[in-house]
Amino acid sequence: MAMMGLGVLCLILSFIFEPSQIASGGYHARFWSNFLHNAVFFTGMAFMITFVIAAFTVAYAGWYVVFKRIWEAFSQFLVPGLVIMLLIGIAVFLHFNHLYHWADEEAVAADEILKGKSGFLNKYWYLFGTLIIVGTWIFFARKFRQLSLQEDIDGDQVTNFKYHRELRKYAAIFLPIAAFTGPAMIWQWVMSVDAHWYSTLFAWYSMASWWLAACSLTIMLVIYLKSKGYMEVVTKEHLHDLGKFMFAFTIFWTYCWFSQYMLIWYSNVGEETIYYYERKSEYPVLFFGNLVINFVLPFLILMRNTTKRRMGTLFFTSAVVFFGHWFDYFYMIKPGVLINAEEAMGHGHGAAGHATEHAASFVDGFTIPGLIELGVFVGFLAFFLYFVFNQLSKASLLPKNDPYMEESLHHEVQPYE
Amino acid sequence: MKGQHKEVLFGLYNDEEVLMSAIKKAKKQHLDIMDVYSPFPIHGMDTVLELEESRLHVVGFIFGMTGTLTALIGISWIFGGSLMFDGDWPTLFGGKPYWSLPAFIPITFEMTVLFCAIGMVVVFYIICGLGFGVNNPILDDRITDDKFCIAFQTNGMDEADMDKLKGFFSATGAEEVHTKTI
Repeated sequence: MAMMGLGVLCLILSFIFEPSQIASGGYHARFWSNFLHNAVFFTGMAFMITFVIAAFTVAYAGWYVVFKRIWEAFSQFLVPGLVIMLLIGIAVFLHFNHLYHWADEEAVAADEILKGKSGFLNKYWYLFGTLIIVGTWIFFARKFRQLSLQEDIDGDQVTNFKYHRELRKYAAIFLPIAAFTGPAMIWQWVMSVDAHWYSTLFAWYSMASWWLAACSLTIMLVIYLKSKGYMEVVTKEHLHDLGKFMFAFTIFWTYCWFSQYMLIWYSNVGEETIYYYERKSEYPVLFFGNLVINFVLPFLILMRNTTKRRMGTLFFTSAVVFFGHWFDYFYMIKPGVLINAEEAMGHGHGAAGHATEHAASFVDGFTIPGLIELGVFVGFLAFFLYFVFNQLSKASLLPKNDPYMEESLHHEVQPYE
Repeated sequence: MKGQHKEVLFGLYNDEEVLMSAIKKAKKQHLDIMDVYSPFPIHGMDTVLELEESRLHVVGFIFGMTGTLTALIGISWIFGGSLMFDGDWPTLFGGKPYWSLPAFIPITFEMTVLFCAIGMVVVFYIICGLGFGVNNPILDDRITDDKFCIAFQTNGMDEADMDKLKGFFSATGAEEVHTKTI
């Protein structure tokens, strides 16, 4: 609770302490960008976990069942996630902020490119699209959990697969829906911060980031719960496989990151290249730091077999990766928001903001995460964990009657060690 | 030991669990196991057998680095502009510098993987003594199918020691015990 208080305090502080460079605009860009950044990050984790539960169910995976309840608890965070995203949506609707260049009607009217995109990038779709799509996700996330809890009560591991069959049916329906709606939401929430720029790889890249964050948080949570004496049945073997997931998706993330960079760099289209030009020249810490924490460190640490089986090393790496992907979202959102705010100030409302000749100086809370940003992060994390523990306490930590329970209990990677 | 015949006493087991506990017992009694055969790889077997860690990954690393360097030096030699090369055939692509690293990464990566994979396969074959024209004696055909086998070398062993080994096999649940000279 204290941490949540800290988060709220830091949000208020970020509202007051607007960096001097853009303070005269009165957009409260630091507050809104912090809010958007964390809201998107945690809501996305909940979405990605829902997606992974569906994917694992459809793929007949059994090993994850012993810690399935943690993921179900994660997925329920979509409900508060929707509320905070709707707050942002309403603020965009009523022009309380200037996160998105496309939300500025005068600017859109004077801008051919934004006019062309306005069928998707408009305030109505932002608000109601979020409501509809996240609402759909919530429906499935709640359905998955509800079926799993029902199974606890009157299911049976050996003879009664009724609930599991139904779960699989819903999971199969959810997968294609999630595959289309997930990227749509990412484009809307994150990519449209740079309204002129687009990248078809962006959704892959940021969804991999969400999943890595969720996976590393799962590992940390499992180790924490084990240290408290819960979840004894989750063994090194399960954590080893989670570690492998983290390792593999670290490489996948880097692959997406590099592909996006290289294609844009090589094709040399001005509108696209400017995105990377700005980030490399003015945010070198974000640009290269991102690569170091999210690729170099986990790659080198997790490469060996034994590091994935040692709780301490795994916990440390998970913490690095978790922070790293929060940092990754910082990098996706903050520079764009700053540019939007500066453009809006420099040219006044209504000017087509192609030029980006803003000063290459240090801007509090944008150039690198400041203490207030970290405070907001801690606050949101505390809220997320509070919610997750609350959900966990509502049901048995082990899904008693899941048909894959036996398989999961005997999951072995290196049994004779 | 090339050229010299080996006298081998071996026991066949039906189950890998039984085999693993038998190996553990043999290690406890300090019996000198010649080799263990299994139709499929068993994870953790090397730890139980106290085998030295394989150095194949070192080989892999060396071959991988060779591939990386081959690619980078090759590209630099062709396009020039860096790594002390002038460029044998400098070509402009999309207004990029002659020596433009991001574009070389995919090729470098592929070369690393190619060198590493082929190198490791060849070295693995050499270490294991596999290759053309090699005829490896096999103790029992069924160890390639559904039997698990522990083998002891018995050259110059007296009756008492042989009996001790046979006693070990019957105590650990071996289905059959045979001798063979290979």
